[in-house]
Amino acid sequence: MNAEVAADLHWLSVTDAAHAIAHRQLSPIELMQALLQRIDRLDPKLNAFIQLHADAALAAAQAAETEIMAGRPRGPLHGVPVGIKDIIDVAGLPTTCHSKVLENNIATSDAVVVTRLRAAGAIVLGKLSTHEFAIGGPSFDLPWPPARNPWNRDHHPGGSSSGSGSGVAAGLFPMALGSDTGGSVRNPASCCGIVGMKPSYGLVSRRGVFPLSFTLDHVGPMTRTVADNALMLEAIAGHDPLDPGSAAARAGRYTSKIDRGVRDLRVGFVRHFHEIDTPADPEVSAGLQRVARSLQMLGAEVHDITLPSLGEFGAVNRAILQSEAWSVHARWLSRQPENYGKLARRRLMAGAFYGAGDYVNAQRRRKEMIAAVEAVLRDYDVLLCASSMDPACRIDDPIEVERTYPRQARTPFNVTGHPALAMMAGLSKSGLPLSVQFVGRYFDEATVYQVARAWEQSAGMDKKHPPIG
Amino acid sequence: MDKTLLEALVRRAGLQKALAEFPDDVAAAAAQAETISEKLNAPADPRAEPWPPMKAGEGL
Repeated sequence: MNAEVAADLHWLSVTDAAHAIAHRQLSPIELMQALLQRIDRLDPKLNAFIQLHADAALAAAQAAETEIMAGRPRGPLHGVPVGIKDIIDVAGLPTTCHSKVLENNIATSDAVVVTRLRAAGAIVLGKLSTHEFAIGGPSFDLPWPPARNPWNRDHHPGGSSSGSGSGVAAGLFPMALGSDTGGSVRNPASCCGIVGMKPSYGLVSRRGVFPLSFTLDHVGPMTRTVADNALMLEAIAGHDPLDPGSAAARAGRYTSKIDRGVRDLRVGFVRHFHEIDTPADPEVSAGLQRVARSLQMLGAEVHDITLPSLGEFGAVNRAILQSEAWSVHARWLSRQPENYGKLARRRLMAGAFYGAGDYVNAQRRRKEMIAAVEAVLRDYDVLLCASSMDPACRIDDPIEVERTYPRQARTPFNVTGHPALAMMAGLSKSGLPLSVQFVGRYFDEATVYQVARAWEQSAGMDKKHPPIG
Repeated sequence: MDKTLLEALVRRAGLQKALAEFPDDVAAAAAQAETISEKLNAPADPRAEPWPPMKAGEGL
């Protein structure tokens, strides 16, 4: 490992770190110490962590080094640190969901995704900030402050997997777990300029993850590069017989064709999302156009296609999400509404005011929407569309947060369950990330990664880091 | 939402404490649901099935 890389260990990708550790070119202890020092210096400004588990992480790094030196590699992520969104159980640590309601809730076992990451050799660093119960944020009336955007700390890092997005982008850790019910992996990925994948519904186990909405919840990887994201998904994907939503589909080799390029792939551009349904900021529109043109230059066929409107997708998502979330929170909201922050309280109580017909009709329209997306994906390998319609707004401006929060095109793919990846499309004039989203066929995450990688490499998106620390 | 209807729904949902302590939040929650409900379209075909389908003997 050369001196330049050693000085910048915090920007090391998962792939490079794992390779260097496996080949004894990098000590996992050295990597962990570098990251812990960076966390110590930067996290007080970013609030990515709810609970840092430094001593245990360092001990695990020492154990990893011993195993590797003894010729007993554990898996493809051996010795690589990971952050865990605080709605996901890690044995012995609190799962607070960033809420006073669960302030003292200690997990007795690991969520399945955490078990799989540990089996691959990853080291858990700690629990990360989220919007309260993955829905109420950014909030300043909770036991912990909201995470900040490392590109500009006055701005929102997106949510609900806020600490995951902020910490990965800032180089506090190279990978994190997030969850995505209406866009909560892809929103922070968009705001923070990293790569966030919401896999196909049922590909990654939700067991041990606090539910927001049973039929919309997904767990997904968040990383700085597309290849890292594919590698992390390989570690966490796979059937879980005890998760009722788990798919029978086998986990794939998501890194297998990542460098094949996009020649002759057919890309459907859902232009009406950002041009008609929810007109985007001009810089976002220009960014999407750049991505489409770049894929064409690389040999893909790009054609405009039409899906149901964002307004209707959004209504279906919201009615299902709030109805299901209400069934989780009704008892607590009835007895202890004061223990919720204002935003979570408002958004979760809404579920009490839907009728049964609203919920069932939303699920019926959902089936028709799935059919509409499936019909398009018979003719196209991947869809290209907006993720966020605006760069991240100021975090301390509740009116702007409320205005921009629903201006997005992520909820359609929670409704349909198709895999969807958000990543950087460039930087705005004010130095904030712009975003793009790629969507694929069910369980064809590999092709989504293939297209995302082609864009990343052609535009150097993996080389852009926030000006922090 | 009409006040009488709101109070009836609050009682049914067990949100009396929330209404007493956070009336603005309850009103905002009800307004959100009302707005979304108005935007929802029923399927054109009255026989349309919801997602996910019930499948006996699978999974659990």
